Amino acid sequence: MSIRWQSAVAFGAVAATTLITSGSMPQATTDVQVSTDPQQLSVVGLPCFPGNLTLTMTNTGREDRYADLTLDPSGPLQLSRELFSSWLPAVDPDQPVSAPVEVRVPRDTKPGSYKIDLQVDKTRLTVPVTVNPLPSKGPGSNLALGEQAAASSTHGNFTLCGALDGDNDSEHWDTLTGWNDGTRAVFPDDYDVALAAPTTVNRVELYTLDSTKYPALTNGLRDWDVQVRSGSGDWQTVTQVRGNTLGHVTSTFDPVQADAVRILCLDSNDHAYSRIVELDVYGS
Amino acid sequence: MSLRVGSTRRTFLTLTGAAAGLALTGSLPEIGSAMAGATGRTDRRDPFTLGIASGDPLPDGVVIWTRLAPEPLAPFGGMDRRPVEVQWQVAEDEHFRRVVRHGTTQARPESSHSVHVDVRGLRPWRHYWYRFRVNGRFSPVGRTKTAPPADANLSSLSLAFASCQANWEGWYTAYADMAKRDHDVVFFLGDYIYEFGIDRGIRPDSNEPYITQQCVTLDEYRQRYAAYKLDPDLQQAHAVAPWIVTLDDHEVVDNWADDAHPSAPPAQFLVRRANAFRAYWEHMPLRLAQLPKGPDMQLYRRFQFGRLAEFSVLDTRQYRSDQANGDGTKAPGPESKDPARTITGAAQEKWLLDGWTASRSRWNVMAHQTAIARLDTKDGPDVLVPMDTWDGYEASRDRVLGGAAQRKVRNLVSIAGDLHRSVASDLKLDFTDPASATVGAEFVGTSITSGIDGMDLDPGGATLLKENPHMKFGNFQRGYVSCSITPQRWISDYRVVDKVSVQNGAVSSRAKLLVEDGRPGISEVQA
Repeated sequence: MSIRWQSAVAFGAVAATTLITSGSMPQATTDVQVSTDPQQLSVVGLPCFPGNLTLTMTNTGREDRYADLTLDPSGPLQLSRELFSSWLPAVDPDQPVSAPVEVRVPRDTKPGSYKIDLQVDKTRLTVPVTVNPLPSKGPGSNLALGEQAAASSTHGNFTLCGALDGDNDSEHWDTLTGWNDGTRAVFPDDYDVALAAPTTVNRVELYTLDSTKYPALTNGLRDWDVQVRSGSGDWQTVTQVRGNTLGHVTSTFDPVQADAVRILCLDSNDHAYSRIVELDVYGS
Repeated sequence: MSLRVGSTRRTFLTLTGAAAGLALTGSLPEIGSAMAGATGRTDRRDPFTLGIASGDPLPDGVVIWTRLAPEPLAPFGGMDRRPVEVQWQVAEDEHFRRVVRHGTTQARPESSHSVHVDVRGLRPWRHYWYRFRVNGRFSPVGRTKTAPPADANLSSLSLAFASCQANWEGWYTAYADMAKRDHDVVFFLGDYIYEFGIDRGIRPDSNEPYITQQCVTLDEYRQRYAAYKLDPDLQQAHAVAPWIVTLDDHEVVDNWADDAHPSAPPAQFLVRRANAFRAYWEHMPLRLAQLPKGPDMQLYRRFQFGRLAEFSVLDTRQYRSDQANGDGTKAPGPESKDPARTITGAAQEKWLLDGWTASRSRWNVMAHQTAIARLDTKDGPDVLVPMDTWDGYEASRDRVLGGAAQRKVRNLVSIAGDLHRSVASDLKLDFTDPASATVGAEFVGTSITSGIDGMDLDPGGATLLKENPHMKFGNFQRGYVSCSITPQRWISDYRVVDKVSVQNGAVSSRAKLLVEDGRPGISEVQA
C-alpha cells in the first residue's frame, strides 16, 4: 500500500471550507403573503372537535425561498403546531403552500374571545378565535360528537378523532374525516368513545368507508360488535353485525347505561384495515 | 468562556497561530449571547442532543456534522432564531493533544442550526477525532477516517451497510453491534426516517405525534429527523465511522417517483420534496455540493478507496419514471419493459457507465436503494415481480448490467436495501435464463428495524429462493451487513438480531457470503 503523506498540506493556509448556505436568509421586508382559512375561528371545548385552520404562505417575490410562519396562541388555546416552515417556489402564477393546524380548548374554557398571532418575517396577522359554550346534548342528539376517542391503533395518515367529527361523507375520506387502524391485516381493532356523562343509550349508527372509489363491499367494515361500558365494569356486547357490505349501519339494542361505547372491529371486506368514517351514539 | 482542556488550549496556540489566538481571547460575544435566553443569562442546556457525525470521506478530507438543538423536538430545536458561532477541532488522537485542524463556523437558523464543516488538508487513510464547542460546552467526540490516496494499493477495506430504520418498529440493537466493530466507512442506503408512523409501536414514545404524524412541511421533517437521531445506538454508529448516505422513498413519502406521488399534483408534491430534501441535507454529513436547490438535490456521487474499490452511490428515486402497472407486485409486461422508462434517469445512467469505462478499481460497487436482481414472488409458473424495484424498470437493468458486461467491469457488486429482508443474488444478463452470463453479485441488506422481529425464513422468503435460481441466500430477520474486502475476495457478513422488539436483542452472524476476484457472482455461502 503506498500512501503519500500530505504533511505540508496539514499546516496549510486553508483550514477548511465552511458550508454556509445562502439564499434562505430571513428577509427584512417580506415577499411572503400569509392567509388563513377561515379568517376567524369558532371552537368549543369538546376533546375530539378541534377547530381546523388552514395556514397558507405564498411567495410573491422573484426568488424561491424558505419561510417560517410562527403561531402564538393566547389564553387557553392549544395548537397542534406553533410553526409552519416550507420551501416556497417563486412561480407565475403564484403557488400557495398550505398546512393545517388544529385548535383545541379545554372543556372548562370560559367562552369568549381569544386570538392566534401569526408572523412571517415582519408580517403579522391575527386570527380571532371565539370559544363557544359547549353544545347541549339533549334527546335526539349525537352523544358521541366530539367526545374523547381512543383506539387500539391509528394509521399515521389518519387522526384518532376523525370518526367523531360530524362528517360522515366517505367522499371526504382523504381529508382526515375518518379513522383507519394502524395494523394491517391484524384484527380485532377497537375504536372507543367516552361519553361526557353516564347516559342511557340504545342506538349506534356506524358509517364505514363507502365512496365511489372505495365501496363498502370491498373496503368497508364487515364484522363488528357494539359494546358498552359502565363505571369500572368490563365491556359488554350489546349487539353484533356480521357480513356487512353497506356504508351506513344502524344498530339498535335494549336501553343500557353507558359511559363509553366501543366498536370491536373483527374483520373488514378487504381483510386489511378497519375504517370508520363516523360513529354516532344516541339515547332513547 | 475558557477551554477546559489545558493541553487542547496549548495545541490551539502552538499549531495554528493567530487565528486560534483570536478565538481564545474569551471575547466571542456571539457565542455567549446567541445561546443566552431573553434575560441574558447563559444558556446551560446541552445543545448536542442529536450527537455528531462525519461523512463522505476523501483522501484529504471529511465532512463533520452536528446540529444545535437543546430542545430537539421543539420548534427550531429550542434555539433562538439567531446565528451561533461554533468552534470545531480535528485531532490525530482521541485526547486532542495533536489538533491538526480547527476553526469557527456559524450554525444558522435557516439550516436548523446544523453545522457541516468540509475539513480539508487531512492526511489520507487515517483516523481522526473531532468535536465541536459552543458556549464553553463540548460535543461528544467522534472518530472518523479519511479515504486512501486514489492510487493506493489498499490491502483491505471494511465497511458496513444498512437501511430502513422505522423507529416505532424496534430498537437499534444492530447499530450498537455495528459501532463495536471496526468499519472504515458505513453506507446508509435509504429510509433513514419514515414520513409516517403507527401509534402502537415498540418504543414508549411510538404514539407521539413526532413519530406518527405524516410529514409534509419542513418543520415536520426536521422534527422527525430529530426524533430519530435522539437514539443513542444510532448516535454511536455515527460517532465511530464516516457515513456515506443516499436516500430512498420514506425520506420523502412512500414510493414516490420523481415528481409523482398520488398524494398531490406534481407542483404541490415538489414543495413537499423540497422540504424533505432540505431536512435531509441538514441532518446528514453531506457537502455543499449536495445542498438541495428547492426540490433538486445532486445526491449521486462516487467514492474511491484507492485502487481497491470504488463506490457509485446512486439516487434511483429522483429521476425515475413512475412505477409501471400502477405499482405493487405484477407480472412483467410491456410497461415494465418499456425502453423509454428509467430508474436512474438518462444523465445518471451515463454517469454510471462512463465511470465504469474509466474505472481502474478492483471492485466496482453500486451503493443504492433497492434490488436489481429479479424477484419472482409467485409460487409456480406465473411470475409476479415488484414494480418498485429494478424489476419494474427492466430496460434500465438491461442497459446497466449489459453496459457493465460490455465494459468488462471488474468485480461488479451491488449493495442495496429497501426489501426489509436479506437477499443475495447473482446478477444475470438475462434473469429468465439460468444459463445466462453472471455479471456481478448483489447483496441486499435487511432493515435495521422495519418489519419488527421477522424470522429466519418466512414463506415469502422460501418462495423467493425457490422461484429465483440466481438467489443464493435469504433471511427475514433484522440487522445489517458487515463486509471485508481485499484484492482477492469480498466477504459479506449478514449480522442479524434475534429480536428488535426488546432492548437487549442478541446479534449474530447469520451467513457469510464470498465473492472472489475475477469470478462474477457469489462463490460460496457459509450459512
